[in-house]
Amino acid sequence: MALTSLVFALFSIITVAIYFIVPKKIQWIVLLISSIIFLFYDNLNLETVVQALIILLSSYFCGRLIDKYKENSKKSKAFLILGIFLILTQLVYLKYTNLFLSTANHICNLFNIDYQFKFVQRNSLIGISYYSLIMIGYLVDIFRGVTEAQKNIFKCALFMSYFPILSSGPFIRYEDTKGELYGEHKFSYEFMCSGLVRILWGLFKILVISQRIGMFVDTVWADLNAYRAFFTIAAVLFFPLQLYTNFSGSIDIIMGISEFMGIRLPENFTVPFASSTMTEFWRNWHITLGAWLRDYIFYPLQKSDIMQKLNKKCKKIFGKKVGKKIPLYISMLIMWFAIGVWHGGAYTYIIGSGLLQFLFIFLEDVLEPISKRINNKLGINTEVFSYRLYKTIRTYLLFSFSMIFFRAPSVSGAINAIKSCFMLNNIGALLGRSNLSNLLNNIGLDVKDFIVLSGAIFILFIVEKLALKGNVRKKLFKQNIVFRWTVLYVLIFMIIIFGCYGAGYNPANFIYRQF
Amino acid sequence: MKKIIKSIIFLIIFCILCIIVFKVLWLDQTSIGCFYGEPQNTLDIINIGGSNSYAHFNTTLAYNLYGFTTGVLATDSQPLSAVKYLLEESKKYQNPKLYIIDLAKVGDNLGNIQDGQERKVIDSLKNSKNRIDAIQGMLKYTDVKKEDYINYYFSFLLYHNKWKNIGSINIIGNRTLYKGYLFYKLTVGIEPQETYEWDSNKRIELKQENKEVLEDLIDYIKSNQLNVLFVVPKRSYINNGMEYINTATDIIQANGYEVFNFNTLDDFEVDFDKDFYNYAHLNVWGATKYTRYFSKYLKEHYNLPDHRNDTQYDSWNSEYKRFKADYTKITGKDFNNLLQ
Repeated sequence: MALTSLVFALFSIITVAIYFIVPKKIQWIVLLISSIIFLFYDNLNLETVVQALIILLSSYFCGRLIDKYKENSKKSKAFLILGIFLILTQLVYLKYTNLFLSTANHICNLFNIDYQFKFVQRNSLIGISYYSLIMIGYLVDIFRGVTEAQKNIFKCALFMSYFPILSSGPFIRYEDTKGELYGEHKFSYEFMCSGLVRILWGLFKILVISQRIGMFVDTVWADLNAYRAFFTIAAVLFFPLQLYTNFSGSIDIIMGISEFMGIRLPENFTVPFASSTMTEFWRNWHITLGAWLRDYIFYPLQKSDIMQKLNKKCKKIFGKKVGKKIPLYISMLIMWFAIGVWHGGAYTYIIGSGLLQFLFIFLEDVLEPISKRINNKLGINTEVFSYRLYKTIRTYLLFSFSMIFFRAPSVSGAINAIKSCFMLNNIGALLGRSNLSNLLNNIGLDVKDFIVLSGAIFILFIVEKLALKGNVRKKLFKQNIVFRWTVLYVLIFMIIIFGCYGAGYNPANFIYRQF
Repeated sequence: MKKIIKSIIFLIIFCILCIIVFKVLWLDQTSIGCFYGEPQNTLDIINIGGSNSYAHFNTTLAYNLYGFTTGVLATDSQPLSAVKYLLEESKKYQNPKLYIIDLAKVGDNLGNIQDGQERKVIDSLKNSKNRIDAIQGMLKYTDVKKEDYINYYFSFLLYHNKWKNIGSINIIGNRTLYKGYLFYKLTVGIEPQETYEWDSNKRIELKQENKEVLEDLIDYIKSNQLNVLFVVPKRSYINNGMEYINTATDIIQANGYEVFNFNTLDDFEVDFDKDFYNYAHLNVWGATKYTRYFSKYLKEHYNLPDHRNDTQYDSWNSEYKRFKADYTKITGKDFNNLLQ
């Protein structure tokens, strides 16, 4: 059930309507039933039911036992490890078997062993990467005493499967969300309006911008040898925008539906492309994933006995300043590797959204003092708009480069794309006749699409700029009715008329849905 | 209360804007718009079928000659599976004395939707239970997946993209003019024909699904006690079209219905070198011959009224005048020559 499909719209309307009709005490049951329908809508069979039950039962019972033995740290730790082991084993089995097989094949090739493992097809439930981590976080929080285990297994099931977040997140935490999910919510006109506007904005980003950019990006990526240089570079530069509008648009729809019901979820994006460093970028991009990995991987690693010992050793060998950084970088490397692995069972994700991100952040950190010294010597004013713009563009370019691997079908495909950026264009062959219309038609867009896309990106730019200074919807609702309604009608009809949906478009094209 | 009123006003404005936007986007979409434009119970004949139904029979000329009115529920290459639903639709608005059903496409593959024949019918129908039945009834013979039926239930899913064509010229002619008869610059062309198959007497077994649809249609006509005349238009046929028609004719006649086959008439002559504008369609001169012959037959065999002096039917006179004027404008010829 794609977020922009009419089926999902109808499903959400019915859910929200019933949610406010039933007695408030059983509102959470409506959410649970809807979530179960959503979870199995496309994929109901014994295999997927077992998958869901494994995660639910392991997290519910282990959670209860961790809670029960919280005075006995050995036992509670054992149940924590058991719970994490069960959840991770299933996740690895479903998502990463082919990664292991592919690695094994590479090793076989390396040692001239004439054997190749066959890849396997696994039928996994939607959002399994999300709720596997969410439930691991739940167990860790109980172990840490941050929260108590949920005694009602059905409420636990709702926390695991709350339907809006199944397709694209965000990552939620039990302690922050339980009140929202199980609480009683009155219908609020303000929440309704705010939620609907957010849904519209999400639809605008996905249907008008992302899908349209996708037409161009997919066309170029489908035949890199034909397009080359200018077109490949353009596709590489446009892909982050496609990804952002697609992913953040999905989050807007998810947040909007939740807000309508009075359920507040954590934000996942705060204008990431305005960031001037990669570190800042990742504080604003997929925020909840970063926060999850920081709290459940990075900090525990930093505090682990091994790292503490390493820290001491490094300080002795390299001195205080450099020595303390080494364990930090090792923890960061592990965390970024985990981010890469989480994105999917392929080296492209490990490199693109993991290791390259680590490399950029590492270099930023290491080179910062040098950069400061150069700026001081050359008398460069770093407090001016132009310098910040330079850094923002640099960050965008670095992210675009890393996304070549994320977008590519394989590592060799990514290398091919990088090569293609430096190949001379055969523009004449692409043009056929040398006019703009012909050129655009050959890259998946026509002139009218291009005009609409330019206008829509301009609107996105304005709104993002306003978002840097505060909540845009709040600002909108403070305006006079004529302006407010005009903005809303323009937005609605831009989606209806210029949206890429219906026959000929794939509504299931959600880049982050596959995780 | 204030909030509820505000929400209602917002929705009303939204609906009005939707109507305006969709009208602009779907301006030339409906192929049977002229049918819905007719006042209730004012049509004496309803003509259902493929492009021959609007290209061969000049409804304004028939009215001028004999005074009866003919509604056209015709769409390009209309599949036979559509006819039942168009009969049902016409019953809702009109109470005609006769239904004419075009048999030219009776042997065509029902699953061939490459040219969107199903869409042309479905998108032309007003929203109703019959439209839903038509979607389900017609698409079951195609390879359209059930989950994609939604694109037919909500036509804007396909047609919202028509914003790109706003301002471009309607190249298929305005189908709301001349009471459903197709007349524009292309239909005054002349293309000499090779007379494929039109006189074949052979028979080929209908495909199972075509036979099923035909029998279902006959059952529907019987159970609704409709007065129906099946027509086989004069034209070239390819891909064994005439042989399928002959088989269908046997089935229809066995059920007690008449088939009026222009290809077997000795006294009806069209010139295959001069009277067609393409392989299947009569040009304005051929259509005039066809209309004069057929309207005379209809007048003589069916008890059709003459509305020519009834002011309620003035729009028929004015459309005939429009046709006359446009004939001279497009062809540069004297209209009187057309009727000689």
